[in-house]
Amino acid sequence: MAQNQHSELRSMVSGPVALFTSLIVPGLGQSLAGQFRRGILMFGAMGSILGLAYWRIHLLAHREIGFLAKYTKALSRRPHFVIFLSLCTAFLWVWNALDAKRQTVPERRGGSVVFILMVVIFFTMGWQISQINPVKMIRELPDAIPPLSKVLWPWQAAVTRETEEIRAGADILIGCEGKLPPIPEKVPGRPYLKSEPTCGELSRLDENNNVIKGTTLTLTASGFAPNTETQIWWTDNLGNEFRPRQEGEYVAVITDSSGSFEFDLVMPYRLIPPSARGPQIHHVGARQVSAIGSLMIADPLKLTLERMAETIFMGMMATLFGIILSIPVSFLAARNLMSGSWITIAIYYLTRTVLNIVRAIEPLIWALIAVVWVGLGPFAGIIALTLHSIAALGKLYSEAIENIDPGPIEAIQATGATRIQTIMYGVVPQMIPPFVSFSIYRWDINVRMSTVIGLVGGGGIGFLLVQYIRLLDYRAAGIAVWFIAITVAILDYVSAEIRKRFV
Amino acid sequence: MFEVRELTKVYDDGTVAIRDVSFTVDPGEFLVIIGLSGSGKSTLLRCINRLIEPTEGSILWEGVDITTADPGQLRKIRRQIGMIFQHFNLVKRSSVLTNVLSGRLGYVNPIASILNRFPMRDRNLALKALQRVGIADQAYKRADELSGGQQQRVGIARALMQQPRMILADEPVASLDPVLAHSILGYIEKMNQEDGITVLCSLHYLDLVQRYATKVIGLREGRIVYKGSREDIRRMTDREFKEIYGQEAERVSAGFDEKGSS
Repeated sequence: MAQNQHSELRSMVSGPVALFTSLIVPGLGQSLAGQFRRGILMFGAMGSILGLAYWRIHLLAHREIGFLAKYTKALSRRPHFVIFLSLCTAFLWVWNALDAKRQTVPERRGGSVVFILMVVIFFTMGWQISQINPVKMIRELPDAIPPLSKVLWPWQAAVTRETEEIRAGADILIGCEGKLPPIPEKVPGRPYLKSEPTCGELSRLDENNNVIKGTTLTLTASGFAPNTETQIWWTDNLGNEFRPRQEGEYVAVITDSSGSFEFDLVMPYRLIPPSARGPQIHHVGARQVSAIGSLMIADPLKLTLERMAETIFMGMMATLFGIILSIPVSFLAARNLMSGSWITIAIYYLTRTVLNIVRAIEPLIWALIAVVWVGLGPFAGIIALTLHSIAALGKLYSEAIENIDPGPIEAIQATGATRIQTIMYGVVPQMIPPFVSFSIYRWDINVRMSTVIGLVGGGGIGFLLVQYIRLLDYRAAGIAVWFIAITVAILDYVSAEIRKRFV
Repeated sequence: MFEVRELTKVYDDGTVAIRDVSFTVDPGEFLVIIGLSGSGKSTLLRCINRLIEPTEGSILWEGVDITTADPGQLRKIRRQIGMIFQHFNLVKRSSVLTNVLSGRLGYVNPIASILNRFPMRDRNLALKALQRVGIADQAYKRADELSGGQQQRVGIARALMQQPRMILADEPVASLDPVLAHSILGYIEKMNQEDGITVLCSLHYLDLVQRYATKVIGLREGRIVYKGSREDIRRMTDREFKEIYGQEAERVSAGFDEKGSS
């Protein structure tokens, strides 16, 4: 392998000189020994390894001044990485010098160990630069399991029932200065709650952020549904509702068999603005929520189905526009049709170049541009997918046109057929199978792409998925993920079947 | 009576494919054109039905000059001239029947044919043509499912559909097994003898030429270098053969029994 034309070049220097020069400038010794490419490669590799190593060490210790200080700091922060990198680089440097000496002897030229070493160093650096961290992956697994299991089996969120709420409450005066709120009147057959006392102090925090408990209220309630969980809610003077917690848990009570309960509630913590004037009336309430009626499709499922339909139609429309617009383009990009004169050849190259550029830019990026143009929504996604489809289909169609067999056309012409008959019998039958195949394939790709194009605001199910993930609603997100997976799987099968029929 | 007069074809790049070619063919003749590849055989045959436009000269058929016919006339002439190709030139993805029916395109209503509607009479004719070449049972298969020999028979059936008065066959057996060559040429000979169709056929193997031709012309570098009758061909020696084919050429046996061919 090393017996290439460079081996013919005689070494210009002796072994020790090559060794010495390569110790000073890596690769110089090899170049002087007549192995220019090897020398340049060695110099380039060594240079980029040193540059990258300096960058990483600088990042680990960017506050330190001077290389030595940086190095020491980096060594203390990531000892394994820095030591391994240093050893490898030093070893490579020495090896490079020995390699230069070896290259001066024609019979011993070549050798690839040094390059394997370089590759090892580059991959070590890649591991560090891309922040690969398997330990973190395993360590954080327990925290990830609850949300992930919601994504994997989200169907509790798919259905819901209508709910009925029973509530009763009492007003509480903060500070016990002024007129006490009245005790609610008891009406038979309706839920009732009374607090004792009806005024008190809220929980507070002292300067060390320790909680100073507020007044304990004794809540007495009756007229609720028996043996049912009852939630306690607090409403402040501004009308903000929240569920107070005790010992970290939301406060909830189970009613007894007569639908009554008695419960001691410590008044919760609530920051009162210092500017607040006059009596502050808060409200404590008890609520029972019970499901009634039959099962209904919940909003996440309904929205997912709607967005999924939107997604599929987005893909369909983009494919339709893509097909219609790419057919004329494909004729301009077919070499056999455009080889007539230099003008048509220029058009051919221009079309090909534009197609390649448009195709090189991902639909997601086109969607970002389209969103600026027509605003958020499925139309932006359709524009993005259409542009990409025109480029992709234009290329595939033009290749199908280039691959047309002229034989049958000649044969049909020879029968005395008209021009249109020749096209219908000689050209179209050859074009339909690849056209159908490519179009179906493109539809498949477009639907798949439109599931993610929503991530950048291009409409479809991706839009919904991102919203659910940002709201940490993992069950709803899970429903969307399931539907994406199901749709793509079905589509994959259907498109493969259709293509099989046609080719 | 079919006559070619001083036909010349110069391609755009300056290549002279045929030069001053003149010959006559009597009705019912089996004319074989021999010559090396590149000697102009294919160009000559394609100039006759103007798949290639000749540069100079005239082609007279029943008193009409094909070279000056307008497009309408040309289509009427073409439909009377069937053509068989070396590579069969079938539409591979269409059915055998459709391929055969396409031979009828010059006769049918253009609009109906675009919608793939052919009169029942034509469909029966197509099945009969397939029967004649012995592959009626393959009518509904895709053309590319057939073997090479069967595909060429479809090509012959397509030519038959034109109810032609003349057939141009461009190396009809060159891409087939030598054994199949006889079966294919047999069908063409049958059309020639039973229906009285004039045949212009280019061939490679001298043995086949001697067996089928009633008249031979030899082309070399676009010029006619040999003209002979049936008897001349039978007596043709290797030396004469080499004259047409050039010094390096050897007499090639088509791989069949010599006695059977004479």
